[in-house]
Amino acid sequence: MTATTISPDNTAILSALGPSYGLPWLQQRRSDAMELFERIGLPPVTHEDWRLTNTAQIAKINFSAPGTGTPLTPEQLAGLCLKKLGAQQMVFVDGKFSPELSSPGGKVEILTIRQGMEKHADRVQRFLGREMPGQSNGFSAMNLAAFEDGAFIYLPPDQGDMGLVHLLWINASHDQPVVVHPRNLVIVGSNNQITLVQTYAGFSSHPAFCNAVTEMVVGKGAKVELIKLQRESDTAFHIANEAIHVHEHADVQSLCVNTGGHLVRNNMTVHLAEPFAQATLNGLTLAAGDQHIDNHTMLDHARENCPSHELYKHLLGGRAGAVFRGKILVRPDAQKTDSKQTSKTILLSDAAVMNSQPQLEIYADDVKCTHGSTTGPLDDEQLFYLRSRGVAAADAGALLTYAFARDVLLRIWHTGMREYLEEFVAAELHRLHLDQAES
Amino acid sequence: MALVEIKNLEAAVGGKPILKGIDLTINPGEVHAIMGPNGSGKSTLSSVLAGRETYTVTGGSVLFDGKDLLDLSPEERACEGLFMAFQYPVEIPGVTTSYFLKAAVNAIRKHHGQDELDAMDFLKMVKEKMALLEMDKTFLNRSVNEGFSGGEKKRNEIFQMAVLNPKFAILDETDSGLDIDALKIVANGVNALRSPERAILVVTHYQRLLDYIVPDFVHVLCDGRIVKSGGKELALELEKRGYAWLETAAA
Repeated sequence: MTATTISPDNTAILSALGPSYGLPWLQQRRSDAMELFERIGLPPVTHEDWRLTNTAQIAKINFSAPGTGTPLTPEQLAGLCLKKLGAQQMVFVDGKFSPELSSPGGKVEILTIRQGMEKHADRVQRFLGREMPGQSNGFSAMNLAAFEDGAFIYLPPDQGDMGLVHLLWINASHDQPVVVHPRNLVIVGSNNQITLVQTYAGFSSHPAFCNAVTEMVVGKGAKVELIKLQRESDTAFHIANEAIHVHEHADVQSLCVNTGGHLVRNNMTVHLAEPFAQATLNGLTLAAGDQHIDNHTMLDHARENCPSHELYKHLLGGRAGAVFRGKILVRPDAQKTDSKQTSKTILLSDAAVMNSQPQLEIYADDVKCTHGSTTGPLDDEQLFYLRSRGVAAADAGALLTYAFARDVLLRIWHTGMREYLEEFVAAELHRLHLDQAES
Repeated sequence: MALVEIKNLEAAVGGKPILKGIDLTINPGEVHAIMGPNGSGKSTLSSVLAGRETYTVTGGSVLFDGKDLLDLSPEERACEGLFMAFQYPVEIPGVTTSYFLKAAVNAIRKHHGQDELDAMDFLKMVKEKMALLEMDKTFLNRSVNEGFSGGEKKRNEIFQMAVLNPKFAILDETDSGLDIDALKIVANGVNALRSPERAILVVTHYQRLLDYIVPDFVHVLCDGRIVKSGGKELALELEKRGYAWLETAAA
């Protein structure tokens, strides 16, 4: 990114630094990030990484820090809660930790990031902003300058299977546009296994802007499943920067499910930092109306013998637009890299738009990297086959879209989450088809 | 009353006429074979009867069990008892055969005002039919036709026919791509489904299938018209003499 001396005019969105809790290093990082943000602002569409997602509309809105919103109803909470799956759960409402809604007890010590700064001061100082530094883009700079709360998880080595942890971020209903900057830091010690779910949900009819950062370090031989469910309200802006650092023989699988949001951008960066580290990145986007959902992934193969797989699927109706841009960087030391990237899209309407771009940068000579992308309407032959067996046209379409989506969900390791998401996606598809039928 | 009454049927694809006036009457219990050289319109006839939308019917009529067949959607035709075994069965990744069949069976039951079949009864019925086609137990949990061999796909078609129990079945080049063992299994399945109520239309290029599924009538299609009809001996004659003598006659 080239530095410019001209201050962008979209920096007013960042009004104040987050608290520093009397920590000089944090104070320093925040003010550096603020300074950086004032210089670079939100990414302009002229920036190569942002040319398909115009963030200018975010800068046009006058967001404020959320005051007290409409209290959440038990029904709203019940639909988002994963306690029935035995999850340790941490709930944040309007960016603030809610002890009364949370049930963090269990095998994993889950803290707020502020508690983490007290209890694990050195670790937080060492890792906060390491994987996702402010310099990455204007959003990560803004988050580092302004974040207020978030989860801090540290798993000491050799704990075995640590079960399911759920971080639930809810934006309540407000009578004005509000902004929150969630920040999560997760350090998984070697040889642990854990499923970490992040849900981002919202209920406001006014735009809510969620600018999240999640950083994760996965120790040697650990196995981590990271599931993100983005189901914000349809007026929301959701920008997420996530970065995972993977040590040797560790295995990470992520799934990013997007059903909500007006404008959404997920940046997922994975550093395969040591030999035999493994990453699988999956995605499922269901969009309709005017939704715009952009997934950027970056797989950084730094060392040899690391496999990586990507499967991103999109079902788009209405005038929805989606972007998938998958970068695979194979550095000179990353011999025997085996990387496969696939993007598949079904367009349910003529006005829906998909933009899929692989981006391979390979500096090693003994590697296998493949990519493929398909975009099109529902397959006429498949539809006719189903209809010729008596299945009505609308039902045949629903069956095919569900099968298309389910293919991604079947890859989920955690049985309870797989079933939960199968049910959730079936309901969302029903909504998508109703939406199609009305338009 | 005839089960299927095709009168002067004409159809085109992309403006090009393919069927140029087909007349064919099929009664319950009969097995008819349509033979003909490549490009004669055999598969077009199957597709038009099944309701494939890439073909435009430009003239004529088809009565099926007294109803105007051409007026019905593909799913309505299936619900009324028409079945086509595809020449190229489609793979549907992510949809298990069991789920697919249940959707089909229940759609047809619903059409006839019947309740959905409960899971136990469905499974019992399906397993009986699987035995008929010598199908592997794992088959129900596999995605429809995904990764199936040519033989498995064709067996699956006849298996579906057994499950859906149609009044009228069209076998569109069911023998193509089958080795002799697979051909026998498929033919045995079809023969087991012959009944006084059911009519079958076998569409094929080669006589070989008709050694195993012996038809009551054989019709030769050339350039979109039936140029000759006869008994099962006609198939043997075609095997000996080829189609050329009939094509000349048609022209």
